Amino acid sequence: MNAIEIKNLTKNFGPKQALAGLNMTVPAGAIYGFIGENGSGKSTTEKIICGLIHESGGSVRLFGRDYTDADVRAKIGVLIEAPGCFPNYSVWNNMKLQAANLGMKNAEPEIVKVLKMVRMEGAASNKYKNCSLGMKQRIGIAMALLGNPDLLVLDEPINGLDADGMRIMREVLCDLAQNHGVTIVISSHILGELEKIATHYGIVRGGKMLCEMTADELEASCRTYVALKAKDMNRAKFILGSRYSRVEEDEAGYIRVYDITTPEETVTCLYENGILVSEIKTDKIGLEEYYIDLMKEGRK
Amino acid sequence: MEKKFERNTFGKRLGSMLKVDFRRMFTMPLVYIIVAACLVIPVVILIMTTMMDGTVSVDPQTGAETVVEGFDNVWQIIGSVSGGSSESADASGMGAGMSLTSMANINMLYFGIAALVCIFVAEDFRSGYAKNLFTIRAKKSDYVISKTIVCSFGAALMILAFFIGSLLGGAISGLSFEMVGFGVGNLIMSVLAKVILVSVFVPIYLIMSVVAKQKLWLSLVLSFMVGMFLFMMIPMLTPLNATIMNVLLCLAGGVLFGAGLGAISNIVLKKTSLV
Repeated sequence: MNAIEIKNLTKNFGPKQALAGLNMTVPAGAIYGFIGENGSGKSTTEKIICGLIHESGGSVRLFGRDYTDADVRAKIGVLIEAPGCFPNYSVWNNMKLQAANLGMKNAEPEIVKVLKMVRMEGAASNKYKNCSLGMKQRIGIAMALLGNPDLLVLDEPINGLDADGMRIMREVLCDLAQNHGVTIVISSHILGELEKIATHYGIVRGGKMLCEMTADELEASCRTYVALKAKDMNRAKFILGSRYSRVEEDEAGYIRVYDITTPEETVTCLYENGILVSEIKTDKIGLEEYYIDLMKEGRK
Repeated sequence: MEKKFERNTFGKRLGSMLKVDFRRMFTMPLVYIIVAACLVIPVVILIMTTMMDGTVSVDPQTGAETVVEGFDNVWQIIGSVSGGSSESADASGMGAGMSLTSMANINMLYFGIAALVCIFVAEDFRSGYAKNLFTIRAKKSDYVISKTIVCSFGAALMILAFFIGSLLGGAISGLSFEMVGFGVGNLIMSVLAKVILVSVFVPIYLIMSVVAKQKLWLSLVLSFMVGMFLFMMIPMLTPLNATIMNVLLCLAGGVLFGAGLGAISNIVLKKTSLV
């Protein structure tokens, strides 16, 4: 069953078209990495899913029901932009308010549980306005987790988190998806982090879905490459460039040769041309590079 | 196979929404400040106007003398007896001249109620809490109904605080409590009608607030402007010699405005961006 099924979604803000027939399918229990450039329509899509803005056309179904269905909407947790908290209330009171909003009875143990999950139990009495950006993000996640949601929609949830905060967030989200069957839609520009947890990806561009794939499909389509350093880098690059279709120099000063299977082949090629290789390794491009490549191809 | 969800009935939804709004209202220091002000203001007004009553001021340029008029009895700050044209005009602020009593009366509270409603609603949007609310609540009517009830309750507290303050102020300043042209029953009906009349004003302020969302200044300006038009009807609908008919009239107005404007507020929330 699909947690989210979006068909031909359009949204216009006056003359500007934010979504131009977007299609999206999120299987139940998936951690769906929603990726795209600024202004590509990610946040607009998420806001429509959450009922915060209204579509101009198309359909949105959540767990097989229309997204305006009150029963299904009561099971959505959300963190969009910043957590919706009252600055002068304590963290605890903000949580209590959200628990009341969800119609929870005996909410205290549940609040303690979600605050513990995001390692914020010690800050419950702090005023929300006195919390750091990272703490606020964690509180937002805790708030979204209240009421055992079936679907979590998180917009840039790891913004402002330190390395430890990111690790905690990763553990929490993976636990929710794997052990509790929660479906998570997460948009982030920190693709390296997203890559560690996402089971599915959706890449959006210009208000349209460019491609959707599973983590396995991404793995299969990510090209391997050989990265090397040689004594004469310029000549090595020239020789390899004349033999292979794609040769680039990366930021770390390595020459990358794509689409070859063995490093021996590259070393032999350079050796035959009198160039000695000083360092060599094989690797695969990650989500970030795949995404950048895809964006470049899209612009061509 | 379709996933099963717990049935979220109207009663359950409204119950939780009311719980949120009542909790919010009574954890907002502003509400206590406003209610306390409603209690203190009539005391101050009655004491000050009694002290200033009969004071003559002279315009240095024209030499014209103006006599400052205070209250003759406590009940003037609550309302006027219908049929007494001058008093009625005083209370409504029409043709009041220099009379302090013309502006400083309980009817002014209906503008204070605008502040309460606008701040209460704007806070939802300014804090971002509206996102939490409307993500969970597909039915915007829950929000509109709950806000109308809770704000009406807060507004009723303001009216009652002002009434109690008036009694205290009257006792302290030594003003007469004599009832001319009305009885205790009429007075109770008059206060009750004023309390119920807030349910006419609250939906008006609510609609302005949901239009303006986080722009508090805009909701206040719109509320004051629109409220001004209806302000004139307060003394007519809630005179001191009010009967059950006045109460029923206010109740009918409240139901009509609550339902009609509530439906418009609902449409505004449905059709506009909530973030």
